[in-house]
Amino acid sequence: MPFRPGSARARQRSVLLVGSAVLLAALVLAVVLASLLTHEKQEVGPKMMKWKDRGTTKNLREVILGRCYSYVMARYPELGDKDCLKIWESLKQAFIYKNPCNITSEDYEPLMELATHPIPCNKSLLWSKTSDLVHRYTKSNQNFLTLEDTLLGYMADRVSWCGDPSDPGINYESCPKRSECESNPSSVFWKMASKLFAEAACGVVQVMLNGSVEAGAFRSSSIFGSIEIFNLNPDKVTEVHIWLMHDIGGPQSESCSGHSIKRLKSILEERNFKITCVDNYRPVQLLQCVHNPDHTDCRLCTNTT
Amino acid sequence: MMKSLFLSVLLVSVLFMNSFSEVQGKKWKGEGTTQNLESIVIGRCYDYIGIVNPAVGEKNCSAIWEAFKNAFINKDPCNILPNDYELFINLSFHTIPPNKSLFWENNQLLVNSFAGRGRRYMSLADTLFGFVADYLNWCGQANSAGLDYESCPTTEECENNAVESFWRKASATYAQHSSGVIHVLLNGSVVGGAYPEPGFFADYEIPNLQKDKVSEIVIWVVDDIEGPDIESCGTHTVKILENRLKTLGYDVTCTDNYKSVMFLLCLDYPDDSKCTLSSAVFSVDGSLLSDGPFTDTGTIWSVVVSQL
Repeated sequence: MPFRPGSARARQRSVLLVGSAVLLAALVLAVVLASLLTHEKQEVGPKMMKWKDRGTTKNLREVILGRCYSYVMARYPELGDKDCLKIWESLKQAFIYKNPCNITSEDYEPLMELATHPIPCNKSLLWSKTSDLVHRYTKSNQNFLTLEDTLLGYMADRVSWCGDPSDPGINYESCPKRSECESNPSSVFWKMASKLFAEAACGVVQVMLNGSVEAGAFRSSSIFGSIEIFNLNPDKVTEVHIWLMHDIGGPQSESCSGHSIKRLKSILEERNFKITCVDNYRPVQLLQCVHNPDHTDCRLCTNTT
Repeated sequence: MMKSLFLSVLLVSVLFMNSFSEVQGKKWKGEGTTQNLESIVIGRCYDYIGIVNPAVGEKNCSAIWEAFKNAFINKDPCNILPNDYELFINLSFHTIPPNKSLFWENNQLLVNSFAGRGRRYMSLADTLFGFVADYLNWCGQANSAGLDYESCPTTEECENNAVESFWRKASATYAQHSSGVIHVLLNGSVVGGAYPEPGFFADYEIPNLQKDKVSEIVIWVVDDIEGPDIESCGTHTVKILENRLKTLGYDVTCTDNYKSVMFLLCLDYPDDSKCTLSSAVFSVDGSLLSDGPFTDTGTIWSVVVSQL
């Protein structure tokens, strides 16, 4: 089209037209970009709740299955009837897509039923504030079993899990701490498993407590103090043997005649259990000496260089 | 008459042969492949990298399983060589911290406990490549992609079987990458000798130690608490070992009944005289008794007995 010389208004109009076309294009571009970005964010799941503790263990399914099969194969061949796939499914159903602050013991019922197994009498070993020592002990001496040496505890030890109502239903980023909410998947699991473990105990029950802890060897707020002692069955359990261990070279805050032990004794006596208490039960003290062979507490009677 | 007798003999012998072959039906004398082997190996792999020792970083556990399986699947189970596991080792390999290597003979459970899940020492079973296979059994079959769950060849039946070759390769790798102070735990109560030859340590580990990476070799000879003191440092096979290592140019020290390990053995024999501690004890009322040596009759227990 030939340019009409001298028409300023026409030039103005065309500038305006071009300008608004550019503006419109820019707007459209901006809208498209914005929708793309927000769409991406939605796919990542901004709706998943954020918590203070570590998230679900990566490859949880593989880890749980591997541990289940390992346990059934290696440690207790007589448990051959455990269906590890079913066990995994029941664990998953207990928490997937659920609000991790709303977990109940009913959620874990199917899992507990599938995975619990009887414990031989006189072998149950309860513990409080002695995790490292007690598990080193049961690893070296297969005469005793802690909860973490049963199938349930073995699968769950050092593993974490929690769900979330939004996809994919499992939160791998974070999980609630107990301080954030009590009814979280981990706390509910361990409380329930501990209760069942105590209920299954028969004969003599052993307990390893820490006499070097400032707050006292026995605490009512611990799982041992609040759940396990109240779920021991007086018809099955005959005696409770307390092993009160002090750290090698550590403070001897409490011994068998201490306050909290007296309190523990009276609770147990009220339920008709016979109780004994030993300071520094020798086999466990020997285990402590493995890491402190030259400490004065670990001097052997026989001549050593 | 003769015919019926012959037929009944035939019948009986056929039946006998059937039941005989049922008993003899297993190809090999060893146990079959561990059930759910794949799930266990893969699960242990993720367990190790995620929980047991995250310091090793990311590993591809499915690829590790595939490489492991392909070393022995679809082959003559008596013709598996250590280098068939080369890819498996490459994928699962990680460095071993210096001064943490712990070699051993004839005391597997003790070593497991003593190593402390890799925290004090890192034995072969505490590496990823050892961890995934520990206590497991496996073998394949020629012309079949399946695992043999019925039976597997023992080393007596054929040396180049899947499991034996695996541990030969794993042991060699472990030795090759060990550095700093090397520890060896031997059993001084074993009849065959504390340092067995042939043996894994002798044949697959010593030859693969790297002279320029190893600063010292520390030998511990420990007797079973109630076992005989058959060998000690400087005697019999231990002497052979010490000489061999010295000839190879290593700095060697040897200790009998290393205390730390003794304590561990004492767990099962707390009242043995070798295990008596001379530590202080509490009296019945909880007060500390003064330090003093103990008699061999053992520690005085502080016992608080409840009402009957």
